[in-house]
Amino acid sequence: MRYADFTPYDIVLLLQGLGVTLALFIGTTLIGLAIGLLLAVVHHYRIPGCRPVIVLVTEALKNSPVLVQLFLVFFGIPAFLHIRMTPVEAATLTISLNTAAFAFVVFRSGIESIDRDQIEAAKVFGLDRSQILRFVIAPQAAAFSVGPLVGILVNQLQVTSLISVIGVFDLTKIGNILNLRTLQPFIVWAVIGLIYYLAAKTLALAGSRVEAALRKSVKWGGI
Amino acid sequence: MRFWRVIEPHIGFLLQGFALTIAACLLAIVGAVLLGALTASMRSSGNRWVRGAANAYGDVFRNVPFLVQLFFFFYGLPELGIYIGAFETGVIAMSIAGGAFVSDVILSGIMTVDTGVIDAAKVSGLNRVKIFTRIVLPIALRVSVRPMGSVLINLVLTSSILSTITVNELTGAAKIVAATTFKPFEVYAVLLVLYASLTTLLSFAISATHRRLNRFMMGG
Amino acid sequence: MIVAENVEKRFGDALVLKHVNLRVEPGEVVTILGASGSGKSTLIRCINGLEALSGGKITVDGHDVSTKAGLVAARRASATVFQLFNLYPHMTALRNITLAPIEVLKLPKAEAEARARALLEKVGLGAHADAYPQQLSGGQRQRVGICRALAMQPRYLLLDEVTSALDPEMTGDVLRILAELAADGTTMVFVTHEIEFARHISSRIVFLEQGELIVDLPTAQFFAEDGGLAVPRIRQFLSKMKKD
Repeated sequence: MRYADFTPYDIVLLLQGLGVTLALFIGTTLIGLAIGLLLAVVHHYRIPGCRPVIVLVTEALKNSPVLVQLFLVFFGIPAFLHIRMTPVEAATLTISLNTAAFAFVVFRSGIESIDRDQIEAAKVFGLDRSQILRFVIAPQAAAFSVGPLVGILVNQLQVTSLISVIGVFDLTKIGNILNLRTLQPFIVWAVIGLIYYLAAKTLALAGSRVEAALRKSVKWGGI
Repeated sequence: MRFWRVIEPHIGFLLQGFALTIAACLLAIVGAVLLGALTASMRSSGNRWVRGAANAYGDVFRNVPFLVQLFFFFYGLPELGIYIGAFETGVIAMSIAGGAFVSDVILSGIMTVDTGVIDAAKVSGLNRVKIFTRIVLPIALRVSVRPMGSVLINLVLTSSILSTITVNELTGAAKIVAATTFKPFEVYAVLLVLYASLTTLLSFAISATHRRLNRFMMGG
Repeated sequence: MIVAENVEKRFGDALVLKHVNLRVEPGEVVTILGASGSGKSTLIRCINGLEALSGGKITVDGHDVSTKAGLVAARRASATVFQLFNLYPHMTALRNITLAPIEVLKLPKAEAEARARALLEKVGLGAHADAYPQQLSGGQRQRVGICRALAMQPRYLLLDEVTSALDPEMTGDVLRILAELAADGTTMVFVTHEIEFARHISSRIVFLEQGELIVDLPTAQFFAEDGGLAVPRIRQFLSKMKKD
């Protein structure tokens, strides 16, 4: 009656897909945050010619569909440069840059607020500038960036589902496979959706814990 | 210019795709606003089951990837005996996902209306309908222009995902052009610039509207 | 006539008004005095129906504010000026004033605007008809608030600490306008901290203490040694306000 029923092995498939999704998410997050921070620092020090390029590129990344970015990197760049690129490489490159573009904005405003507060605080305390920066302002800026960063990451976790379209065997791709084999779309996509939902909720919860802890630890600094 | 040489023969086809993108986004924003308004009113209901259902809807559709939602409807609806086209399915999925965000925008817009202002309208004898249409709604809409605009921009970006269920909107059309010309880099680079220009133009328009409507309000 | 009989108001467990009785006849200016939290503003908000009564009854010209039809009629007879102005932020001064006359009294737009302009002229804001609240100073906003109330041609004007949010200089402008209205015979119920001003314009003063109306006397008697000042709580209140 059914094309092919679910088998216990499907659990392994799902876990495999989830593993790929999480590995790619964590990898691109680390790379993306690092690039984002680097861009923010470069932007801050006004290296000639860098500012407009950084702003233009990050704006383009934020304001165009990630799917189109994936197609450009996966189909476009290999054809243009005559190089080979695997789906995982294309996915890692694209999502990392995309995360970097969003993180850049958060880090930039973090640095700008440090810059402003630093002058204020230096007047009030007898501490030298680097002491104030390290012990008072940096932890606070970090605490205040965590909220927006968590929001971005919860979103990026969902964005990773798009890499299935260029052939990465992530959780959504496993959903496609199970969907085709079992022809039970409701169950398949509800389960896939539930796993993403739980992952997103866990991430958001962890983020708010970290944020709360950071805020608590900097409370004494209250300027 | 090499980019233009690649695109030029297919410009009519791409414009058709662009028209489909615009159509999907316009229909979806209407659907999202209707659904969002309904959800917002449910979320302020006194019945905790109604409130819970509305909150759950917003929570689920904001924490599950749109692609998964889209596949759920695209493959799932025929299972229920509902046979509608891919474009219609896409518009429905975008409306449902967008509605989850719009309900937030509407709720927080209404929250910003000062209760004192509503008191003043009440004692002046205005009835409930007039207070809502002449006072609450105009004020809430003014503060909602920006967040509602970012929902619209997100819908434009999200609409590209409809290409995965055979809708030949702008991205779907570009996929076909890339495959027939063997020039994916040129095609997708132009596509990326097109989307970025469209959403940037939209955000300028939204900012201008916000400024115009809020010229004399709340220092905004 | 505004009549409050045995009015009681609770917020949760707190009893904010206890068996308050008050009558305001047409032509009177009645000032409600009392410390912060004594229930003065709550009493005003019960009269204009912004707060539902927990017990007792309030009628305005015989209309019971606890019934739906009664409240509509009562609100038609009175108008309120608020401490924080509560102007409609998205409308010009003129539109703030004409909204209710057009929508509720069904006045033709031209007539409502002509009346609004005349009122603005009277309070010295003739040039600011097209300004938005955000563009006006506090004192100017409150004068618009008074015009908005007067445009409804109310029989009773309810004033809820209308100068508390204003600088002394702006307070003067607003009080001058209220004194003119009093002199014209406008009936007012006035919640205020401006004791000297209350003494100057009111025909009667009532004193609220922790939700109870403990004194209700003609103004002269309220300030007389054998009248209001004979009540220790009022003597204490007045001397404290003078010091402030």
